[in-house]
Amino acid sequence: MSFLNEIEPLKLAALAELRAAADLPALEQSKGAWIGPVGKFTALMKQLGSLSKEEKPAAGKLINQAKVEIETVLAERRAELEIKAALPKEPTDFSLPGRRRTLGKLHPLTQVTEDIIRCFRKIGFAVADGPEIEDEYHCFDALNTPADHPARDAQDTFYLGTPARPLLRTHTSSVQIRAMKSRPPPIRIIVPGRVYRRDNADATHNPTFHQIEGLYVDKGVTVSDLKGTVEFVFKQLLGDDVKLRFRPHYFSYTEPSFEIDFSNALVKKLGKDWLEIAGCGMVHPQVFENVGYDPEQWSGWAFGFGIERIAMIRYGINDIRLFYENDARFLKQF
Amino acid sequence: MKVTLNWLKQYVDFNWSPEELTERLTMLGLEVEGVQKFSGEFESIVVSEIITHDKHPNADKLSVCRVNNGTGERQIVCGAQNFKVGDKVPLALPGAVMPTPAGAPPFVIKVGKIRSVESHGMMCSAKELGLAEDAEGLLLLRDDAKVGQSLAEYLGRATGDVLYDLEITPNRPDWNSVIGIAREISALTGNPLKLPEANLPVGVEKVDSLVAVRVENVELCGRYTARVIRGVKIGPSPDWLRAALEKAGLRSINNVVDVTNFVMLETGQPLHAFDYHLVAKAADGKPTVVVRRAQEGELFVTLDGQKRALTEDMLLIADGEKGIALAGVMGGQNTEINEQTLDVLIESAYFKPQNIRATSKKLGLRTDSSYRFERGGDIGVCDSASRRAAQLILETAGGQLAEGVVDTCPNPSELKAVSLRHEKTTALLGVEISAAKQIEMLQSLGLAVATSQEAGTTSFRIPTFRVDLKRDVDLIEEIARLYGVDKIPSTPPRGATGTHAYDAVHDQLAEARRILAGLGLSEAQGQTLIAESAAKLAVASETIVTLANPLSSDMNVLRPSLLPGLLDSLQHNLSRKNGDVALFEIGRVFTLVNGQSKEERRIAMALTGRRAAAFWSGDERDAKFDAFDLKGILEEFLEQFGLRGIAYTKRVESTPLLLESAVIALGGKHSLGEMGQLTPTLAKKYDLRDAVFLAELNLDLLLARRNPAKSFKALPQFPSIGRDVAMLVAEATTHDAVLAAVKQAKAGNLESVELFDVFRGKGVPDGQKSVAYAFTYRAADRTLTDAEVAAAHEKLVARLTQSLNATVREG
Repeated sequence: MSFLNEIEPLKLAALAELRAAADLPALEQSKGAWIGPVGKFTALMKQLGSLSKEEKPAAGKLINQAKVEIETVLAERRAELEIKAALPKEPTDFSLPGRRRTLGKLHPLTQVTEDIIRCFRKIGFAVADGPEIEDEYHCFDALNTPADHPARDAQDTFYLGTPARPLLRTHTSSVQIRAMKSRPPPIRIIVPGRVYRRDNADATHNPTFHQIEGLYVDKGVTVSDLKGTVEFVFKQLLGDDVKLRFRPHYFSYTEPSFEIDFSNALVKKLGKDWLEIAGCGMVHPQVFENVGYDPEQWSGWAFGFGIERIAMIRYGINDIRLFYENDARFLKQF
Repeated sequence: MKVTLNWLKQYVDFNWSPEELTERLTMLGLEVEGVQKFSGEFESIVVSEIITHDKHPNADKLSVCRVNNGTGERQIVCGAQNFKVGDKVPLALPGAVMPTPAGAPPFVIKVGKIRSVESHGMMCSAKELGLAEDAEGLLLLRDDAKVGQSLAEYLGRATGDVLYDLEITPNRPDWNSVIGIAREISALTGNPLKLPEANLPVGVEKVDSLVAVRVENVELCGRYTARVIRGVKIGPSPDWLRAALEKAGLRSINNVVDVTNFVMLETGQPLHAFDYHLVAKAADGKPTVVVRRAQEGELFVTLDGQKRALTEDMLLIADGEKGIALAGVMGGQNTEINEQTLDVLIESAYFKPQNIRATSKKLGLRTDSSYRFERGGDIGVCDSASRRAAQLILETAGGQLAEGVVDTCPNPSELKAVSLRHEKTTALLGVEISAAKQIEMLQSLGLAVATSQEAGTTSFRIPTFRVDLKRDVDLIEEIARLYGVDKIPSTPPRGATGTHAYDAVHDQLAEARRILAGLGLSEAQGQTLIAESAAKLAVASETIVTLANPLSSDMNVLRPSLLPGLLDSLQHNLSRKNGDVALFEIGRVFTLVNGQSKEERRIAMALTGRRAAAFWSGDERDAKFDAFDLKGILEEFLEQFGLRGIAYTKRVESTPLLLESAVIALGGKHSLGEMGQLTPTLAKKYDLRDAVFLAELNLDLLLARRNPAKSFKALPQFPSIGRDVAMLVAEATTHDAVLAAVKQAKAGNLESVELFDVFRGKGVPDGQKSVAYAFTYRAADRTLTDAEVAAAHEKLVARLTQSLNATVREG
């Protein structure tokens, strides 16, 4: 039974050599040496034919099992060595900075405007706009601000050198008039846009700035509606912990008129109880008459606020001029 | 408007703390801009009454008392012996600072335990109060001392006060007076308004024997009253008057002038005092005050010593010879009260607001008087304010009052009545307030019920001081204020869904912003107002919209292009060492077209510096932006935004702004804008070191022409076959010319053409370049054979060779 006794030691030797192969070429060489056409194990298999009929089945079975075992180990070792071979010569340092792709940023004023618009759209408002070059009628007269009103001082308003539409709008309220004149009620719009005041630039003033204005006209609109909507929007915008206060005030195009103050942890941190944030009121019946709406049939409210102011509060920005310098280090922060 | 707590308390009773008053005024619409406290003597020391008096459980010489200090009872441990239950004594409350010798640390009263019994204050002796050198026992106060009264008030010493700086909205001229503000407090508390009564002595001389008044322009001067006081002694004002004016921010001048100012602050009615003898007498021996328009160019020296040239739309107070006061604005130097003044003429009048405003604006002269008149005076208060001033002049400067008043309008007509349908209040405020309550509130503000014409409607007479109350909503606002805006409930949003043509445009602008940000550009917001010199870089000067009243020459026109603003932003960044900048802006520009200003939305981009973020390896890491970075951004943006068929046509010449540039057009006809490289001259001017690439597009046109609709195209089922061609062409041969030649060749089944190399140098003759294209052939319905592709490609190469005069190198 010398043949059968030869199989096991030969197999063990083959397995040991395959497992010890240092790299893929060495492994392929060992493979040839054992199970290649002239390999030692192949030679053993060739001897099988010389065995007797009785010996053949047991020897055949044994030798096949050994071959399968050798091939399995060969495949395992090959997989191991392939991975080893694929590793780069210099290992990757994953703490190194990546090759950054630049993502542009939207201007903080755009982001704040979009957030405000999103709040209003949730409750059925459409976005509206109008020209920045306006006439006295849409900017003042129709808004019940007569020619001798202090708000019309030349100090506050930029006038153009051209004859037809002579001024830069001082507020987005001019769009109220245009919207109401162009269609019958009900009306529900939000108006973001640039406005202009003749103020020298300093930390809190820029001759160009942005406002956003809401207008709602319908049957049976009340101060309660105004308060409810303003509270909804500011809670969305500034968080549920915000407290709002409505204070009687004066605007020529609303009656009654209110200023809105808000209070939250941030305001307290600034050492204040309240911070003024917006103006609002019920649309003045004279304004309705000016645009051809019947004030006995329709009522409505309007409110407006400065976008820079909201952005400054939200991000803790202390100088309005930063918005217009477009410093890359500023823009990247938002 | 500045007003103090104590002054207000002279006209109405209220017991709010200074903080509570701030809150109440604010919620009435009187915004408190500042609060300043003045400490008095004996702060936090009040009159208290002893209620119980017991022995201290742990100390023989001490006693434990309960005392009432006006707001409540508190327990005090005391060492004195000289008092009994019912006595009134000074009590220093916790926080009170007791007098100490100079240099000694302050002695502050605190809540504390004395021999384990709590004491909430200290009852004081005259010595402890610094009122006597040596005194035994507590200072026992007289029976007329009021419990809770401050000790300073009891002793007649200076009490503390609080000064409020109020922002007065332009609709409420009546709030420019202490009485006006007290009236609001009266309405809110229900306590009566106590108006000062002027009981004037009966004079000897009749005033109309001393002065006459003639108003030539009744529409500009609705009322003019004159009083005369003879034999006054001009001198400094008493302390109370001086203090009242100084707290309100006015300078004390002399007793007579100070009285006129005091009455103005008190009643809101500006007054003027003339030296009677400096007003010229007429033929009848007495002066006639004439209210007339100034003559054009008439010169007049106002109290401030300024000589002013008047115009005929200005109203002047004059005598027979000369102007003596600029009506409602400022008096004249020629009739000013002076140290020698003996007799005083007091003017109290009503002037038309618009006229005073125009005069004040024209002369650039704003005074406390013009400020009040231009916002609307009270025609009803002229005489009573004059009486009040006469009374106070008699008190402070002596003299004798002439009997009566010259008054051009003794019974001014009331303001128009306003009727209110009470249901409308509920309809507008969203809260139910009964008609009776509404009437009560309006009456508390001085409105009187005129009639109740029909059920549910009341007509109100409007007092002359409330010029702002013109229609029903004005009355509803008054009701809202007194009811309290905070008590009006909030109802959740409801109602119609809004629509507006711009709504969809807004989303498209947002989409453009998102695409550009995704392409690596940050959004800028530039100034709309720029310098004319910068605007001229972009457009011809005759199309620039100029401001009639600019603030400065660097902001004197409206931007005709976004590019000058972006250059400013690049310069700003470079000056702060941010050399790598990629910006875009979406905004409006303004130009003149046929003399009319026109607004247009634009989109602009600017690139300079390195194209990629800093990295630590690779040959391209420091590569700078070039024209094809910008073009790539434009191509990707325009494709994503839904615009196809864009042509970039190179300009032959440089422009003032761009060195090399191309006009960007859509479908060969609609000019969308331009792109190019900034001229080196401007780059230097703006301190920009690296090449700068700029582009600007007409966004309105993009919006009108875009087709963002998307439809699915089946993915290819059959394989493609590729063929590359490299060829030499003349330097002037453009990519567009190659594409045109390819198109002309009409090669069958050609799917796409892609340029993959442009090369100049070794092996390429001067004046030529090597260009390499990859052509892809594919049929939608079958696999192409090599022979088919070879035939098509041969035809294509022949065409290229012929049309472009090209030498094919391989392929």
